[in-house]
This record gives sequence, structure tokens and C-alpha cells, in this order.
Amino acid sequence: MTQAPAPRRKVDRDEVFVEFTKSICPMCKTPVDAQVNIRENKVYLRKRCRYHGEFEALVYGDAEEYLSSTRFNKPGTIPLAFQTEVKDGCPLDCGLCPEHKQHACLGIIEVNTGCNLDCPICFADSGHQSDGYSITHEQCARMLDAFVASEGEAEVVMFSGGEPTIHKHILDFIDLAQARPIRNVTLNTNGIRLATDKNFTAELGTRNQAVGKSVNVYLQFDGFDERTHLEIRGRDLRTFKQRALDNCAEAGLTVTLVAAVERGLNEHELGAIIEYGIDHPAVRSVAFQPVTHSGRHVPFDPLNRLTNPDVIRLINEQRPDWFRKGDFFPVPCCFPTCRSITYLLVDGEPGNRTVVPVPRLLNVEDHLDYVTNRVLPDAGIREALEKLWSASAFMGTATTEEKLRAAADALDCTDGCGIDLPQAVKNLNDKAFMIVVQDFQDPYTLNVKQLMKCCVEEITPDGRLIPFCAYNSVGYREQVRAELSGVPVATVAPNALPLADRLTATPYGSKTAHTTREEGESSS
Amino acid sequence: MTRPPSGEELKVCCAAAYSSDVVALLLGASYHPGGTALTRRLADGLALTPGARVLDVASGRGTTALLLADAYGSDVDGVDYAPANTALAQGAAQAAGLTDRARFTTGDAEHLPHRDGVFDAVVCECALCTFPDKARAAAEFARVLKPGGRLGITDVTADTDRLPPELSGLGARIACIADARPLRQYTQILAAAGLSTLRTERHDDAMLRMIDQIEARLNLLRITAAARLTEAGVDLTAAPAVLAAARTAVADGVLGYALLIAERNPRLA
Repeated sequence: MTQAPAPRRKVDRDEVFVEFTKSICPMCKTPVDAQVNIRENKVYLRKRCRYHGEFEALVYGDAEEYLSSTRFNKPGTIPLAFQTEVKDGCPLDCGLCPEHKQHACLGIIEVNTGCNLDCPICFADSGHQSDGYSITHEQCARMLDAFVASEGEAEVVMFSGGEPTIHKHILDFIDLAQARPIRNVTLNTNGIRLATDKNFTAELGTRNQAVGKSVNVYLQFDGFDERTHLEIRGRDLRTFKQRALDNCAEAGLTVTLVAAVERGLNEHELGAIIEYGIDHPAVRSVAFQPVTHSGRHVPFDPLNRLTNPDVIRLINEQRPDWFRKGDFFPVPCCFPTCRSITYLLVDGEPGNRTVVPVPRLLNVEDHLDYVTNRVLPDAGIREALEKLWSASAFMGTATTEEKLRAAADALDCTDGCGIDLPQAVKNLNDKAFMIVVQDFQDPYTLNVKQLMKCCVEEITPDGRLIPFCAYNSVGYREQVRAELSGVPVATVAPNALPLADRLTATPYGSKTAHTTREEGESSS
Repeated sequence: MTRPPSGEELKVCCAAAYSSDVVALLLGASYHPGGTALTRRLADGLALTPGARVLDVASGRGTTALLLADAYGSDVDGVDYAPANTALAQGAAQAAGLTDRARFTTGDAEHLPHRDGVFDAVVCECALCTFPDKARAAAEFARVLKPGGRLGITDVTADTDRLPPELSGLGARIACIADARPLRQYTQILAAAGLSTLRTERHDDAMLRMIDQIEARLNLLRITAAARLTEAGVDLTAAPAVLAAARTAVADGVLGYALLIAERNPRLA
């Protein structure tokens, strides 16, 4: 007897295809087609390189929010100058090329590659290295001029590295910035010099007093466990951080605590970092950045990495009395999925705080919806919220403080009980606290759709403004370092678990694809 | 057991809340749960064609009316009980360049200053719950609608018999839920006025969001002006329990927010 064959049935795919875009091969950095798919309310980017095969990474932990945030996408502003031409297409023409959709909210100048730490996690691949570079006064001036030529009046320049505080001319560089139409300087540092050199901290404090200018500190601060320090920084820096913050408070400097967050390392410390920041007089904001898997980092699973919604969920879980879903709002100046921000009004004593997230006081979405809302209750409030929900917003700058006051006008209350609420809120500036969650792209997650609207740019000594995530992911960082140091630099590949057997270490601790003969021939 | 308040007491409570502007103070005069996203959802249910004549009852500062005029090309009349709101809404229409399509007047929802059968649609957001004579207001909606014209409502729903005692004090006063009705009672009130409900939707998340907002503003007042708040009769020590009770009531389905689309019975005289 023969059994009748089972009828063949068509089967549905297990994912929703939502975008066709471009990315790069994380191994050879060649631009490749990519697709964005949704599975189980999570968003994944998948791509295939003809030489190196298929790659897939989690890019957003909440598909519903990924889709609904599209209406908070602000029309870009055209910069005053573009530095390159469109030739090979995104992401090979950086930058900025005339196809770029947004001006630079924030310009970054990396003053050196050297650092007084050798952190296991460093997207810049910096450390105690003798073959790197340090920029000169002339180079710094040219970089600042390029930024001003593109922006006119620029809001913020960030000095970074390497470790910028060990550059012997860093104070001169800040002076060069302050001599130009650049309102604010932010110094991105591990805090060792701030902790150990009070004169230096005082010099920063003096520059923070300059009329119409500010100098703020962006302090690397990953948590409180010894393990967190050892695994992320290679050294227990807890007393340094404490002393750096105390010195900043004494010098009148405003500090943002910046935590690199990695799965299985310090994801349990987010609430504690916020609370510590609220309690410390120098700290006015916290920035959480899921570890950027560019440069040097610990092995990771691209399908189980942290994204903005994951970080926000952890914050909500760790301080449920303070935060709920909906308290963070996506930033419209870049692509809304790149960055989310909330502002808090904080009162009371340590241990007994009243915390009021500003998005609970006013319907931010009614003001920052660029697709469906053309009529606005008040254009002034939109402008204030745009400046607050921006990559150029930093606590300690006059613009951010002023816009916090202006946003109070959205509290459209009447004076019925003799309390003018907007007026009362305007006096609350020292109680305002900011939290930023920013997921930078890496060679696995890069989506040119987001890159084309990036508003955080690396300024190069030859006067280009390269989107931060392109700089780290596409190979620009390696090119610039090789040019400036005169030492060849290997193309860095992410230290991802699926690639483990195809990588070798570079001299700086990052990974590079080991080139087999066949690959070398076919990809050349 | 707490004696349930009488109808008259409720009216007084609700009116007092509005006249003393505690609600406006806490949430803003133009506040309604769900924001413009819910307004759009409501408008989509009204089958508006460009140039359709729409009446916005309790138009506040004009947010809903201007959205309808701009995004839907409607010709909108707004009516609000507070002259101050009328002025603000007129100013907003001017700023938006929509004065040719959006007019605002001061008037009473229970005695609308409009002729019979002139509107293609009537909208009323977060206000029916506050009208003392709901049947009268519904009859007015029906009167000014053309036969077949649509009514769109978003409003607080409350199963008043099951509301916890905490919500008959401060909570009722600030959120004005004391005279809100269960969704089915709204449809009955409308039906009695000749308005057949076509569709209802629950949007209880919007209510939760409103509770969050009330809590946030109470906290803000505590930070900025605790003494004045006490003078205004808002008991801050009771607030956490009231807000918790309100959240529980939403979770239990006793308190919520709903969207409702109804149609004027074509044969209504």
C-alpha cells in the first residue's frame, strides 16, 4: 500500500519586513544592501556581504516604539557648508556631503589617541600607545574653523580623545574654542586629572565663568561595583571618580555622568547611577550609552545587545517610584531611534526624593509631532522643546537652562489659586536634571538611513565633519589615525561572538578580520 | 459606609472644581486625555469631507477645532463656557492663519447658540462628563446636527456605584470623575436624544496617563507652592492614596476613558 503524500502547505515567514536600506559588511566595510525586520516586537537589521556572508543584529528592543517614533522626525537643517561631494554614495563620502540631511548639533574634536588608561572597552582604541597622534594648535584651530564655517554660531564642541586632559595644550584648545562663535565646550574625560590636579580643575572653572560661554564636564562613570570598573576600565577608579566630582563641585563645574552600559556587566547599576548623580551637587545629568561595538570591547552577542528601549526598561525597573514607560521621549533632530531624553524636576533630601519627569507635566508629543500636526498651540514651546530634545542639549549651558524656562509656558495653567505655575517652574532650574540614552551604531547595526541624519560629527584636521557612527564603523577612524600618526592602522572588526574564529587582535587590543588568501583576492 | 453623594452635591462639586480652576491649575485648560493623537482618531470616525461644518463643544483653547480646520479642511465653530478660552482660541486661530475656517464664541452647551440642523458633525472632548444636565446637552447636539450628521465624543467613563470612597473627595474634584458615567449610560443618554451609537472604543491608557499627569503636577505644586495648594483646599497628604485608588479603579474597569461615534437619527424631527 502506498500512502498518499501529505499536501505541501505554504508557510508564513516569522518576521515582518519593514525597511530596505544600506549598511556595511562588518568585516570588510564594503557597503551592502540591508533589510530591517520585526520579530516578537523587536527590530533587527540583516545584511549579506558577497565575501563574508550574512550578519544580523538587534537594533531596537521595542518595535512598536520604533514605528511610532517616525512622526517625531524633525525636518533637518541645511548646514552653511558641506565639506565633500557626493561621489561613491553613503557612507563613503563623509563628510558632510550635500546628501546629508542634518547640520551638526554637536562637533567632536579628538585631540589625541593617548590615554592614561587601557580600558578593555574603548571605541577609540586608545591607551598607553607610543605610535598615535596629538593634534597641534594649528590643527585644532582649523578644526574649530571648519565647524564654525558649517554652523555659523555653533552650540557645542566636545573635546575628546584618547584622554584629552593629558594633552598638554588642552586648556589652549578650550581658549581657541571660546575665542570663536562657539557657545559651549564639553570636556569628555575619565576624571583622573580632575581628581588629582586641582589647579587644572580650577582653570576649567575659570573658563566656565567666561561671559556667554560655558565649559562642562562629560565624566566617564560606569557604576559602583569593583567588577564594573575592572571589566570596563581595567582598574578600580572609584575614589578617583568621587574626588573628581568633588573638585568639579568646588570649581563650579557642571558634570554629566556618562555610563557605558554592557549586558552582564553593569546593566544593574543604572538606577543607582541616576540617584548618585541627583545627590551630588556637581552632577546635573546622566548619559547612558550601550557599549559601542566599534574599536576595543569585550565579546558580545549582536542578537542580544542593549538598545535604547532596553536601557529605558532597566531604568524603569530599577527606580519604579520615579520612572514609568513613556517618561523618555525620542530626540527629533537626529533619527528618533538614535537617542531618547527625559528631564526631571527633583526635590527633597537624599533618600526621600520627589522626582517629576517633565514629559508627565506636558504632552511633549503634541508639540514634537512633525508628520501629523501642522497647527501648533504655541510655536515657542515647540522651539524650546526642540532645543531640549537635541544632541546639543547639555546641562550647564545657557541655552538648555533658558529653554527649560521657556518650556514651562507649556504648563498652560491659569492663575486660579494664586499660583502661577509656569512662573514658579521658571525658578526651578537648579532642580532640573537630564537623562540621555544614546545607542551609537557599530559595524553590525549601521543603517545609512540613520547615518544620513546624524547630528553628532567628528571633526577631522583636514576640515571634514564625519558622522560619529560612520567615523567609528566605516573605517574613517583608522584612516585618520594612519594619516596623522604615519603608522598603518588595521581595519577594525567588531568582537562579535559569531565572528570569533575569523578575527585576530590588533596592536591596540581591538580585532581585525584575518585575511585568508581567497578573501584577500576577492575583496581587493 | 460612606453615603453616596446626591446628584445635587455632585453637580456642586464638579462645578466648584471647574470654577475654582483646580482642574485647570493641575492639567491646563486645554488638557484632555489622549492628546491630539486621540483627537485624530475621533476625527477619522466622523467621515469628514473638506468644507464640512463642524461644531466643537467646550472648545477650550481651540486645539481640537484648529486641528480639524487644518488637517481635515473643516469649517469649524467652537463654543466654550469661558470667555477667556474664547479669546485664547481666537488668538490661536489668528496665529495659525485659520480665522476663515475656525470661529469661536462663548456659550453654554445646554443652550447652544446655533440654529437647528446646520452641522455635519459635532465633537465634544472630555466635557460631557462635566455637564450637569447631560440629557439636555445631548438634545442640543442632536438639534444642531443635520440628519445623518455625526457626533464624536471622547470622555471619562466611571461606574459611579463601584467607585472607591477615595475617589469621591479630592480625586473626584480634580479629575471631575464624580459625574462621569459608564460608557453604556452615555449611549443611552444619546439614544434618548435621537443619536444612535455607531462605534465605541476604550482608551483607558489615556486615563492612566492623565492620573500620572495629575500626580506630576501635584508634586510640582508641592515643590513650588505647598502653602498655596493647601489654601486652595487640595489635601496633599491624601493624594497618594487617591491616585493609587484611581489607578486601581482603571485596572478594575471602574474608571476609564472612551471614544464614541454616534449618528443623528435621519428621521428625527
